[in-house]
Amino acid sequence: MVPPAQSQRSPSPSQPSGKGEVSDLKMQLRQLAGSRAPGTDDSKRDLFKKVISYMTIGIDVSSVFSEMVMCSATSDIVLKKMCYLYVGNYAKYNPDLALLTINFLQRDCKDEDPMIRGLALRSLGSLRVPNLVEYLVGPLGAGLKDGNSYVRMVAAVGVLKLYHISASTCFDADFPALLKHLLLNDPDAQVVANCLSALQEIWGQEASSSEEAAREREALISKPIIYYLLNRIKEFSEWAQCTVLELVSKYAPPDSNEIFDIMNLLEDRLQHANGAVVLATIKLFLQLTLSMTDVHQQVYERIKAPLLTLVSSGSPEQSYAVLSHLHLLVMRAPMLFASDYKHLYCQYNEPFYVKKLKLEMLTAVANESNTYEIVTELCEYAANVDIPIARESIRAVGKIALEQYDVNAIVDRLLQFLEMEKDYVTAETLVLVKDLLRKYPQWSHDCIAVIGNISSNNVQEPKAKAALIWMLGEYAQDMQDAPYALEGLIDDWEDETSPEVRLHLLTAVMKCFFRRPPETQKALGSALAAGLADMHQDVHDRALFYYRLLQHNISVANSVVNPTKQAVSVFADTQSSEIKDRIFDEFNSLSVLYQKPCYMFTDKEHQGPFAFSEELGNLSIGVDDQRVEANEEDLLLSTTRKEDSLPQQTQGALLVSLDQNEPAAAHAQQTNSVIDDLFGLGLSSSPSPSSLLKLNAKAVLDPTTFQQKWRQLPVSTSQEGSISPQGVAAMTTPQALVRHMQVHYIHCIASGGQAPNFKLFFFAQKADEPSNFLVECIINTSTSKAHIKIKADDESASQAFSALFQSALSKFGMA
Amino acid sequence: MPVSASAIYFLNLRGDVLINRLYRDDVGGNMVDAFRLHIMQTKELGTCPVRQIGGCSFFYMRISNVYIVIVVSSNANVACAFKFVVEAVNLFKSYFGGAFDEDAIRNNFVLIYELLDEIMDFGYPQNLSPEILKLYITQEGVRSPFSSKPTDKPVPNATLQVTGAVGWRREGLVYKKNEVFLDIVESVNLLMSSKGSVLRCDVTGKILMKCFLSGMPDLKLGLNDKIGLEKEAEIKSRPTKSGKTIELDDVTFHQCVNLTRFNSEKTVSFVPPDGEFELMKYRITEGVNLPFRVLPTIKELGRTRMEVNVKVKSVFGAKMFALGVVIKVPVPKQTAKTSVQVTSGRAKYNASMDCLMWKIRKFPGQTESTLSAEVELISTIAEKKSWTRPPIQMEFQVPMFTASGLRVRFLKVWEKSGYNTVEWVRYITKAGAYEIRC
Repeated sequence: MVPPAQSQRSPSPSQPSGKGEVSDLKMQLRQLAGSRAPGTDDSKRDLFKKVISYMTIGIDVSSVFSEMVMCSATSDIVLKKMCYLYVGNYAKYNPDLALLTINFLQRDCKDEDPMIRGLALRSLGSLRVPNLVEYLVGPLGAGLKDGNSYVRMVAAVGVLKLYHISASTCFDADFPALLKHLLLNDPDAQVVANCLSALQEIWGQEASSSEEAAREREALISKPIIYYLLNRIKEFSEWAQCTVLELVSKYAPPDSNEIFDIMNLLEDRLQHANGAVVLATIKLFLQLTLSMTDVHQQVYERIKAPLLTLVSSGSPEQSYAVLSHLHLLVMRAPMLFASDYKHLYCQYNEPFYVKKLKLEMLTAVANESNTYEIVTELCEYAANVDIPIARESIRAVGKIALEQYDVNAIVDRLLQFLEMEKDYVTAETLVLVKDLLRKYPQWSHDCIAVIGNISSNNVQEPKAKAALIWMLGEYAQDMQDAPYALEGLIDDWEDETSPEVRLHLLTAVMKCFFRRPPETQKALGSALAAGLADMHQDVHDRALFYYRLLQHNISVANSVVNPTKQAVSVFADTQSSEIKDRIFDEFNSLSVLYQKPCYMFTDKEHQGPFAFSEELGNLSIGVDDQRVEANEEDLLLSTTRKEDSLPQQTQGALLVSLDQNEPAAAHAQQTNSVIDDLFGLGLSSSPSPSSLLKLNAKAVLDPTTFQQKWRQLPVSTSQEGSISPQGVAAMTTPQALVRHMQVHYIHCIASGGQAPNFKLFFFAQKADEPSNFLVECIINTSTSKAHIKIKADDESASQAFSALFQSALSKFGMA
Repeated sequence: MPVSASAIYFLNLRGDVLINRLYRDDVGGNMVDAFRLHIMQTKELGTCPVRQIGGCSFFYMRISNVYIVIVVSSNANVACAFKFVVEAVNLFKSYFGGAFDEDAIRNNFVLIYELLDEIMDFGYPQNLSPEILKLYITQEGVRSPFSSKPTDKPVPNATLQVTGAVGWRREGLVYKKNEVFLDIVESVNLLMSSKGSVLRCDVTGKILMKCFLSGMPDLKLGLNDKIGLEKEAEIKSRPTKSGKTIELDDVTFHQCVNLTRFNSEKTVSFVPPDGEFELMKYRITEGVNLPFRVLPTIKELGRTRMEVNVKVKSVFGAKMFALGVVIKVPVPKQTAKTSVQVTSGRAKYNASMDCLMWKIRKFPGQTESTLSAEVELISTIAEKKSWTRPPIQMEFQVPMFTASGLRVRFLKVWEKSGYNTVEWVRYITKAGAYEIRC
């Protein structure tokens, strides 16, 4: 019986197919149910296999539930297991039918075969039907006291399952206390391990709400329990050892003798064949010695060899998991790994994610003695392997150069990169040379000679182009044809898609102008004209600013664009040390791989109803240049307000006063803006569906007020909406939706998230009175659902607004 | 918490679900869809084996033509999860008796569900040891041996062993002929610069064992590693015998090895599992004997011609020989025509891999062999980009040779019944990533 692979390609479980087969199955099962003829079990087995295989590929076979239950009266253990699996899968959605299974499961819980008892108990716990928990308590209690360790082991996890279905039932039956008793007394190590896992999870979740639970959780890491577990460590399975070691790493021994005792006891774990045990031990050692600097260093030395072995053995995925940890340690103490740099060389066939980590580590461990070798190796990658790695390695070379070991030679190499004449190499190198010049202006002479030879036509990437333009402006006096190169670039203004490049172009041409006025004047004129006509707000503003600055006073303008600069000594670190310590504390978990502490990626799930005020708090912090949040790009302050609060009329007027030779485009824009304004009165180009409610196109609300209001107001509407498939497709970033909603005069105040989950906060104002609507919108693109919460100053209007909001949302992506 | 997996999925390369086991309710049912949509159907697939989608993290691994995906919603232990997958696959393999691929899964899916049920409960790994699981999960599906029904082979104490202390060996084994097979398998990793200097070189070795021994034997293995020998000399208070000693950088052992005794006495002593297992793994970076030297010269003559010369020297003992030697010499994509001459073996241009594939079935020690080829290229317009030269890669196996020089000095078997055992020891060195830049 092979699952019918070829016929079932239905990618989504929501599209049931094979209806005919299912009813066939139902018939056949019914016939077999009562039969006691020999060979019945074999035909049952075939049918059960079919059912399970349909279930696996996502066909809904819940309709045969009662037949399956009827057939389950059997002594064949494989049949039983298939039946349990089936019941566990569908009981949740058929609670009434699940009741039918209770009977035979309870009977099996009393079977003389411990195997059957264990299986039945495990399945009973997996039913996950809240109103059946009463039937679970009895068998669980018996199971915990069972004479057979297999049953006790299952029962221990069963308690945890019960806790997740109904915590109160679990506490009422006093199961946690029983678990604790078993933890300390059971002769079987796996039972002990399962009790430990269950108790950790239960107390961990309860700790925030109950003081007693918090005490119990602390008790788990008390000296007697820790010592009891450590003394039995060798009895545990490798997986259970990981659990125990993790627990011990939370224990803080009162004196250093104890620390050494524990480390001596566990040192042999570093030689365990299971990498997970080795990593858990490493974490424990690192945590234990945190306060003892010397010993901590020795621990680093001791764990180096096992870590490097783990890296070089196993699949790339495993080695990636270990490398991430090595990466963390290398970043914390690069000098300790300086002599091991050769282990970090990349192999040709390694996947990108492994190579990238290795490159970062190579960069970090570079010092006076090994820079030459490392840079030679990096140059090899830049020339030889795939493009993303080539880029990364050039960046790595640059980073090493910025650390100022042997800069001279490295600069030479970077300049050699430019001679390779590969677009991506040139692009990366340009960015680096720019950073180098900011730090070591004294190198400008050598660099400029080479940079001057690069034709801007060969540079396409915005970042590289911007870097090149910056250098053209900054070193205009040294580069002969700087003004002409800039002029050429300005001629192509219309084709330049990146605002970043256009911004740099404006600044560069200004700088150039002050150094070589006669040659640049023409270019400056056309740049400013083009800038003023630019559709991008920032570019427009900068052009305007320069224009007025020049009008006001030439020498002031010069001092603004060409101030005396100090060489940059240190480039901003991307992560605060606090965060790094947090990650280190969470060693041996996902945090290390994601390189962020766990609250950043799990909290949203565990906080339940979204802690809104905190999030907005973060938002305002984000504005205050708290790098943490800014880096995360979790929340982006939308530019809505800024754009809207700038009165369009004044803009238009300014444009007119500025320049008589203004290109026609500016006029067009001006007229456009007037038309927009007209539309703002209600005749929107995309008419609002609800004519009853009109919104203010230029609503303004500052984050603090929003936050206050959100806290004060009750939720007036909360509903599920859906997004069209086109909308889902367009929802690559929250910004897309933000722009879309703005057309409907619904403004975004904060947005964040990554596919498939986005979270956005909107606000809107009534057109005629200052009455606000606040919206929290959570979008899941994988389910195409949007969860919307609306709060309103005027609750009576919230229904109308909700309709308007939903219809606006449903149009998303249609344009 | 070590793993706490919420679900495990097995998918084929098209994204069809082969196995789907939910352990916890904290992730939605559409996780497979999310995986397909955001990982399989995008370029993400090759970029990182750990990905976060929504509130869940996905760990995935490709094994032959199957993806195994673990979904977690908490801050899980990734290394543990991957190790679990690897171990689970080994377990499945030992049940199927061989390959783990889509067909094997389809043919054994009921068994896999049974095993998944046993090896993980509510997301926590349980017992994964094949020796024990095979006691009570049998493909025959008869009632387990400790039921009241009389069966042919009663194993009275199975549940005790399911969770017991010597979890890797059951009692009461009897063999007519007591045999032990020891395989020392080393793979040499090399990265050599075009100028012939060794950039990086190490050996990862493992000792594989096959035991067919009765009862509960105690084994003791002696190697010529430096620490072990010194320790021995110290104990017996006599000078270390002259001869080569090996310095192991790092060793890991199978769980059966008594690590305390290894640390104190530096001897490897253990009660072995029955059948085949990996006794230890080690890594060596110092004093590696490279079995082959490769000297390439590649000249690009203008835009459309290349001259390739590769000389390969075997530097192991003259009485030994290497088998299955394959040398892949890279050539540019736009290769049009090649003419290759070799002094031994056969060489052919392989267009799909862009290389000259040079195969030598048997390569005796202390000899050398050369390949010389002329490569004609299609001239391309405006392609100024010079060819990025991938390294020359090499595969080989050298029996009876260890690149590290490791030797087994003794293997003692002690059992209370005092039977005689036959011990077999083999050595083999294979190429790991053996790369020479050119």
